Amino acid sequence: MRETKKTNWVLTIVLILGTVTVFFPLYMAIIIAFKQPSEMTNDVAGALAFPAKWSLDNFRQAMEVTDFWHSLGNSLLITLTTIVLAVLIHSIAGYVISRGMTRIKGFRFIYLYIVSGMFVPFSILMMPLVKQTAQMGLGNRAGVILLYLVFYMPMNVLLYTGYMKNIPMALEEAADIDGASTWKTFWKIVFPMMMPMHATVAILTALGTWNDVMTPLVIMSGTGQNTLPLAQLNFQTQFGTNYNLAFASYILALIPILVFYIICQKQILNGVANGAVKG
Amino acid sequence: MPKRKIMKGMSVIVGSVMVLTSLAGCSQNSESGKVEVELVSYKPEAVAAFEEIAELFNATHDDIHLTIDSPNEAMTILKTRFIREDYPDIVGIGGDVNYSNFLDADLFMDISDLEEVGMVKQSYLDMDKELEFIPQDGIYALPYAANAAGILYNKDMFEEHGWKIPQTWDEFIVLCDEIEASGIQPLYFGYKDTWTCLAPWNALAVGLTDSDICNQVNMGNTTFSESYREVADKMKVLLDYAEPNPYAYGYNDACTAFARGQSAMYAIGSYAIPQIKSVNPEMNIDSFTFPANEKEEDNVLNSGIDLQFCVMKNCENKEAVYEVLRFLYEDDTIKTYLKNQGGITCKEGDFEIPAELEGMRAYIEEDRMADFQDHHYPSEMSVDAMIQTFLLDNSNHATDTFLERFDTEWTRYNRDLIRKVQQYQQEMEDVQ
Amino acid sequence: MKKKMSNRDKTFWAVIIPVLILFFTFNTLPMIKGIVYSFTNYRGYGTYDYVGFRNYLDLFTDARVGKSYLFTFKYALAGTVLVNVLSLIMALGLNSSIRFKSALRGIYFVPNILGGLVIGYIFSFIFTYILPAVGNAFNIGFLQNSILASEKYAWIGVLIVGVWQAVAMNTIIYISGLQTVPQEVYEASMLDGASKWKEFWKVTFPLVMPFVTINLVLSTKNFLMVFDQIMSLTKGGPAQSTESISYLIYKNGMDGGQFGFQSANAVIFFIVIVAISVFQMTVMNKKEEQL
Repeated sequence: MRETKKTNWVLTIVLILGTVTVFFPLYMAIIIAFKQPSEMTNDVAGALAFPAKWSLDNFRQAMEVTDFWHSLGNSLLITLTTIVLAVLIHSIAGYVISRGMTRIKGFRFIYLYIVSGMFVPFSILMMPLVKQTAQMGLGNRAGVILLYLVFYMPMNVLLYTGYMKNIPMALEEAADIDGASTWKTFWKIVFPMMMPMHATVAILTALGTWNDVMTPLVIMSGTGQNTLPLAQLNFQTQFGTNYNLAFASYILALIPILVFYIICQKQILNGVANGAVKG
Repeated sequence: MPKRKIMKGMSVIVGSVMVLTSLAGCSQNSESGKVEVELVSYKPEAVAAFEEIAELFNATHDDIHLTIDSPNEAMTILKTRFIREDYPDIVGIGGDVNYSNFLDADLFMDISDLEEVGMVKQSYLDMDKELEFIPQDGIYALPYAANAAGILYNKDMFEEHGWKIPQTWDEFIVLCDEIEASGIQPLYFGYKDTWTCLAPWNALAVGLTDSDICNQVNMGNTTFSESYREVADKMKVLLDYAEPNPYAYGYNDACTAFARGQSAMYAIGSYAIPQIKSVNPEMNIDSFTFPANEKEEDNVLNSGIDLQFCVMKNCENKEAVYEVLRFLYEDDTIKTYLKNQGGITCKEGDFEIPAELEGMRAYIEEDRMADFQDHHYPSEMSVDAMIQTFLLDNSNHATDTFLERFDTEWTRYNRDLIRKVQQYQQEMEDVQ
Repeated sequence: MKKKMSNRDKTFWAVIIPVLILFFTFNTLPMIKGIVYSFTNYRGYGTYDYVGFRNYLDLFTDARVGKSYLFTFKYALAGTVLVNVLSLIMALGLNSSIRFKSALRGIYFVPNILGGLVIGYIFSFIFTYILPAVGNAFNIGFLQNSILASEKYAWIGVLIVGVWQAVAMNTIIYISGLQTVPQEVYEASMLDGASKWKEFWKVTFPLVMPFVTINLVLSTKNFLMVFDQIMSLTKGGPAQSTESISYLIYKNGMDGGQFGFQSANAVIFFIVIVAISVFQMTVMNKKEEQL
């Protein structure tokens, strides 16, 4: 028996106590969301106390004010479409670039060109993009999705090309000999083998797009369409000083991703770690 | 064979982009048969009033469908839409520097052929004229509602303690001391939202400086260091009578605090009244002109165009848009708006001055009014944040630092404008 | 055989060309346009003139821009250091022999999945109302006033929120780094009788060095681009003390009629980010080689 196998209880307790830093803000948000404006007090005990009654009234009202289902639908549509297209397009791009680099001149340059896009801050693209997407008729949800596909391309291509090093050429060569086309080889053999990387790409892209405010803010503002975070920004004035209503709305905005996280926690943590190691 | 493969490769990527572009179509569904008119207003606080007005309009019009949007951060959203060249039909904006800029960018339509223009009080048409960088022919805005800024006070509280309305700066300070002595907070500020710094600033500035000060500076006749010193000093004095650390609280917080009786007075414009009443509908509010001077006769009421409608130049359905404007300018519609938002109408005729502005009535009737000076400040100069910086600066030379900065930044942010104006003057001289 | 290879090449080109067109249209092209706009006095609408290098010259004399760079750098530096120290400690803790390991890891990752904007609003309330209440109740002077209202300390409020969210991500990366350290290495060092402290610096740290590089580059970049937290916590105030570069570009470029000028600002910002990233990677690569 090695010494390190023994449970370090002191550390365990310290770490458990430390979770207060995570739970406290969420606890505050939840109890405020359930309280009534008249229950808001300026003393500590009152602020930390449970609401007088657990009524879902604030939530119902918040849903109405922010058009919750509509915003949720937009967020889901944008995130899911982005994920699916990112996995399809970025994986084949990554595959082509990684295999192309060894045989075609210019692919190394293409690789560097795309990956260097990682350093381009959104700020420099923002103003020209606002004009450009509008001129192209893309000042809407579709435009936002398209932009995400471009913004996440550098990172995802980097991840996929890196991962291709783990997939032996021999497999493709064997398929080649069997007479399969490159196209077929990719979808039948390589794509399924990239599974772990698909998960990583999907998760990293999803976390980034779901919470993003700036892109929808400048691209879709004024179209009447909101994403979940954007709705919080746009309805600030309607909340006024009714913090209870506002917090109910915040909680509603946080719930979908929290639920998703609780269900897929393992995959998400693995995905993120995987991305870091390979990237 | 190879061709097919290439086509396949292309088609997946091109295809998915196509799917995206087809999604783009979803957002633009218009009701068939009706002319759509879109109005974007920059006043999110008037959301309820506009909803009511739009409903009334749509109920009485079969051929036109009116949508009124009042988004949060509306000015940013409006400008973003202009950048995208995605124009609504009508915009409801204030008579401020944004109007000047939009007009200068040639975005608005001349509406002098709309008969309603003849019903506007002359002083408001003049105010709009003064906002033109370069004098234009024609009329580009339909002034709708004006506001007045000064001091709002808690009438019940004043009556209970027997406090008198101050006529001069000295009386005002005495009053503040008196209120403080009775254990009540005289003033409450929401300086976390920087724009609220401009409320007392404007109210003081109209009393203490000439109304065309910005033009004077542009022509090189004076500097802000000279003319704004007293304004700046008095801004600092007000802090002594406000809640500790006013930079922690925003406009909403300040309105709520005043509504709940946490302060006796509130230096803000009439536009805050609906917000205050939403917290405390029973509240008895009255107002008075900011007594900025040592003599009552020098005081001037700070009043400007709070809301006016402009038609975008490239709007396609001029007739429908004019119909909307006519409806908006009907007495009943104006009353609906004023009932909800308070303020003063810009239309000639028999309209009541709201009870909350009773204390300013004399000034309004005698036309002792001047436009908000910040309506001439370029927005990118962020004078509001400069004032906040100044108020937070506790060093001895805070005023000097602030005024010097005001002058240097002014020349920088306005240099294209100054050049343009000079060029125009040159041209006019050449013509003569 | 040769012909077949060239078919493969053709397929490759057929895939990569549309991808390149997409990337060029929405990344490189707008960047070029941004550079062009940076030489104009464009407001974003209406007409404009080319003004040469005036915007760039102005940038270096503009106190507000200077202040925003100072704030952003201060914030990014403090944030990066804090996040990396904290998350390395967290990772060591979460990777040692503790109970409820995966549950704890899961909980500590939660801040990262929540959106910066909403979290900002929640913290804004805590800073404005809860902390001053605590300060008043226990007579703790520095807590009695909202930290967000203080010109001097508001950035720390923004920093706390930024760090709270960022630690989670970096911790996960460090944990996966620690897991690459083979158990035998520790056993060997134990035989040498090295203390825990020494073991960390001599054995663990050099082995996780590549992860330090990743984390430093990632967190510096994220902190430099801070936007959401500013939007929800301070809107750049008080006294313009927390205006980040991204926020200023958004605010004045879109809203303030400085489309051209802020484009120039964005170009400089881009150069700065590239310079910092390249610098970090070269230095860290050298360090890695030395160890």
